[in-house]
Amino acid sequence: MTSDETPAIACRNLWQVFGEGAKTALGEALARPEATPETAAQALHEAGFMPAVQNASFDVRQGELFVIMGLSGSGKSTLVRCISQLLPGTDGEIRIDGENVMGASKKRLTDLRRNRLGMVFQHFGLFPHMTVAENVAYPLKAKGTGKAERTARAQDVISLVGLDGREGSFPRELSGGQRQRVGIARSLAVNPDIWFLDEPFSALDPLIRRQLQDEFLRIQATLKKSIVFITHDIAEALKLADRIAIMRDGKIVQIGTPTEIVLHPVDDYVREFSKDVAKGQHARVASVMQTDGSTGLGPDDPGLTTSMTLDLALAHCMKLYEPVPVRDATGAIVGTVQPSDLVAALQVEES
Amino acid sequence: MSAAGAAIAPLWRLSMGARAAFLTLIVGALCLMLEPVAPWLIKWPTGWVLPATDWVGAGLSWFLDAIKPFARACSAMLSYPMDWANMALNGTPWPMVIGLVTATGWYLGGLSMAALGFLGLSFVLVSGYWFQSMNTLALVAVSVPLAIIFGGILGILANEIPRVKSALQTLLDVMQTVPTFAYLTPILILFGFGPVVGLIASAIYAAPPMARNVMLGLERVEPEIKEAAIMSGGTRLQQLFQVEIPSASSQIMVGVNQCLMAALSMVIIAAVIGGFNDIGWEVLLTMRKAQFGQALLAGMVIVVFAIVIDRMSGSLAIERQRHDIRIVWAVLGIAGLFTALALLSNSLPNPDDLTLMNPVAQAVDQSLTDFTKTNGAWLDSVKNTAMFYGLLPLRIGLDNAVLPFTWGFSWTMAMSAGLFACAGLAGLLLAWRGRVTAGLMLVILMGMLETGIAELPWPFVLFGVAALGWVASGRRLALISVLLLGTILLAGLWERSLLSLYLSGAAVFACAIVGGVIGLVCAVSPLAWKAVRPVCDMLQTIPLFVFLIPVLMVFQIGEFSAFLAICAYAIVPMIRYTRHGLVETPGDMLEAAVSSGATGWQILRDIRFPYAVPSILLGLNQTILYAFAMLVIAALIGTTGLGQSIYLALGKADVGLGISAGAAMAILAMISDRMVQGFAEERRRALGL
Repeated sequence: MTSDETPAIACRNLWQVFGEGAKTALGEALARPEATPETAAQALHEAGFMPAVQNASFDVRQGELFVIMGLSGSGKSTLVRCISQLLPGTDGEIRIDGENVMGASKKRLTDLRRNRLGMVFQHFGLFPHMTVAENVAYPLKAKGTGKAERTARAQDVISLVGLDGREGSFPRELSGGQRQRVGIARSLAVNPDIWFLDEPFSALDPLIRRQLQDEFLRIQATLKKSIVFITHDIAEALKLADRIAIMRDGKIVQIGTPTEIVLHPVDDYVREFSKDVAKGQHARVASVMQTDGSTGLGPDDPGLTTSMTLDLALAHCMKLYEPVPVRDATGAIVGTVQPSDLVAALQVEES
Repeated sequence: MSAAGAAIAPLWRLSMGARAAFLTLIVGALCLMLEPVAPWLIKWPTGWVLPATDWVGAGLSWFLDAIKPFARACSAMLSYPMDWANMALNGTPWPMVIGLVTATGWYLGGLSMAALGFLGLSFVLVSGYWFQSMNTLALVAVSVPLAIIFGGILGILANEIPRVKSALQTLLDVMQTVPTFAYLTPILILFGFGPVVGLIASAIYAAPPMARNVMLGLERVEPEIKEAAIMSGGTRLQQLFQVEIPSASSQIMVGVNQCLMAALSMVIIAAVIGGFNDIGWEVLLTMRKAQFGQALLAGMVIVVFAIVIDRMSGSLAIERQRHDIRIVWAVLGIAGLFTALALLSNSLPNPDDLTLMNPVAQAVDQSLTDFTKTNGAWLDSVKNTAMFYGLLPLRIGLDNAVLPFTWGFSWTMAMSAGLFACAGLAGLLLAWRGRVTAGLMLVILMGMLETGIAELPWPFVLFGVAALGWVASGRRLALISVLLLGTILLAGLWERSLLSLYLSGAAVFACAIVGGVIGLVCAVSPLAWKAVRPVCDMLQTIPLFVFLIPVLMVFQIGEFSAFLAICAYAIVPMIRYTRHGLVETPGDMLEAAVSSGATGWQILRDIRFPYAVPSILLGLNQTILYAFAMLVIAALIGTTGLGQSIYLALGKADVGLGISAGAAMAILAMISDRMVQGFAEERRRALGL
């Protein structure tokens, strides 16, 4: 991130603690001499509070697809609700395009939601008494957009998610996949810049899930929203994310690109996740190539590029033993790779 | 015998239940032994009674007088819409009313509902009670919108403001247990006599179910739907009215349905305080004149109304496609055409002249007289057997109920001693087999049977209730129960309370056994359920008042009739919940049992039954509450106790007595409710539900 670009979302030392009188208790726990977030959380736990999000800090860049991944109960849903201010947050700072929304007035939040934010829910959260078209147009109606305009806009997003012809149906008449398409369309109705998706595909069966993931990527490719995407599925996270934050017991334990997460897990918890992942499909050649020129070049050039996955690279140099060159997108040689290093990178690490 | 428990194991090693039972037993035994030297242990001396009833009366009268002008203004205001509704319903030619109801039936539920509406109203027409029915309907038509608006606002407020919610919850819980007649006395004083009183009473009585369902519905809206409304940028009002209330509409419609039924029930009961030519009054009048055929006919009209209203409003709560509106217009058109033709040719019969059913009623009357004449001896023997060998001993104890005149011998001290010895031995045997609590309970129950519920020493009752409360849910409930019962003692309502307790206790006991067995049969055989279910539905739809007619016809006025009426009404939840609990065992548990090689009977005993216990306990709880509700109504046909006091207070417009007795009734109901709930909760926790 260049320093002059304001992040879409900036989260600093965010806490969400549940329990009566949580704010005071958190303040006291943090004010103790030599208090760290860990000791504070520990103290809160012992006092009967539930610190669901502890000291979370991260940035989501403009146009970035930021995935928060963790097991159930790790606090990821709480975190996204803090950012969208469905939960108030106990302490810390949330800046949306530079504006701190923690403790913002109701009016300001309503205003933000009417123009800048959109959210998709795990169980869709569709209004059962409204048709597809009415559901999708509801954010516009709340805002006071005229009928003709909101109908037209709703029609646009309904087409975008491929639900043409189902405008008059009620949610109960739709399949799970179709319902989530409605949820997605509704969240896009006001054309928000920031898009929250809370486990949007978790309630769907695997085939439909894959289909919707692909469509989601297609939509994102054209719309370029800044996205916070929650999931418990590492494969989904790796497939979609620009960057991933991994949460455990209310804490963010690692933030990194999919490759970093897979190849350089910070601890056993993260390693456990990436264990079952076919690393060759997610890690790129760039992560294992040498750029200092310390290895000489062999005679062969199988045409590796930096953005190739390890699997693909390996397929290109199955029978080679000498170092081979790696080119960037423009075709210039930027480094070298020893084929044996490719194989070594694929090995599951010993724990 | 008091050493039974201690002989087996040291006191502190016994389970909580056994310890409580043991101490209760000691208190009971002490009371019995000390009776000759300290008679005040048995009977609370009148000198110790505080004139609380009078205080309540004075305080309330002052308060009621203070708000009387306002109340009278309200009642004057309400008489306008009521007159309009009366005029509208009575002024509309009857074919139009029938057409309207039929068309509504069609729209809501298709052909079957339309047929129900048409046949039901046609029956009302030919019964000759058309005008009276329309009067009743006019009351309902005004009181229900009031109740819906009032209850709805309360429910929404409770949803928005947490503090209102907890207060409203408590209020609704209390109102649920206060008997219907108890409402009437203060309303009578406030609003004077006349139909408006019934109107207001029914609006007040019908608002709680509405409030409760609105609250429940809003609470149950999926959190994600609420969040989606927030994220769509709705203001709080937009969220509430555009998303949350429409999403909760099913539950709210359940509220409307219950509201209608409560209003109808209350409008009919309100006839007791001075009817005005409505259908409830008609039942009361004919019953007093012992014209049972007519009473039954009028009662049938009420039942028909109840069923039509219930089924139609019930289908509001089911989300489905409504039926073709064109048919609605067609039905209305036909009705209009019919009316026009009949009016033009001046041949529209006056519904008052339609007395097609009168011969039927007379025939019923006649055959009933014949029936009681021919079967009188048999019926009397049923009644007397139940009275002398069941109800009476339960009420005044074996020591007083066993007389040469009925049992053929008189009860002696030696017999008491023998009974206690047998009970003690059986108790010891149970304790020896490891079931200490059961053994102790057996002895306690025998003691109660010997003494009689109405003559139990008050320290024993207080202690026993405290012990039960403690075991059921802890120290808090024990303390509250004792405090509340203590107020009854001090207020001088103790004996009447015990009498009420005895009659409802006997009815609950009978319901638990019979209802449990029926529930079991229905759980085992779907065919039986098919037969029992409509009966249950019917019994739950009928306004309480109507239950009195048939029992009165056959068994005349008296405690036994009251007992039967209570049983008929209170047995339904027991059947339903028992069956439900037994049927709802999770499939994988049953499969596991089958694959373990259990027979059908073993599955029932070892798997289904333990799993059903919480549900059965809830059924028992409902049965208790139903029994208390009916007890007061049954005072009309002769019961002693609190119900009678409430009814008498109504006749004398004695607010103090009415409210105090009503409160005592509510206290009894509330304590038993909390206790059974406590046991059910404990079972549920034990099962991890």
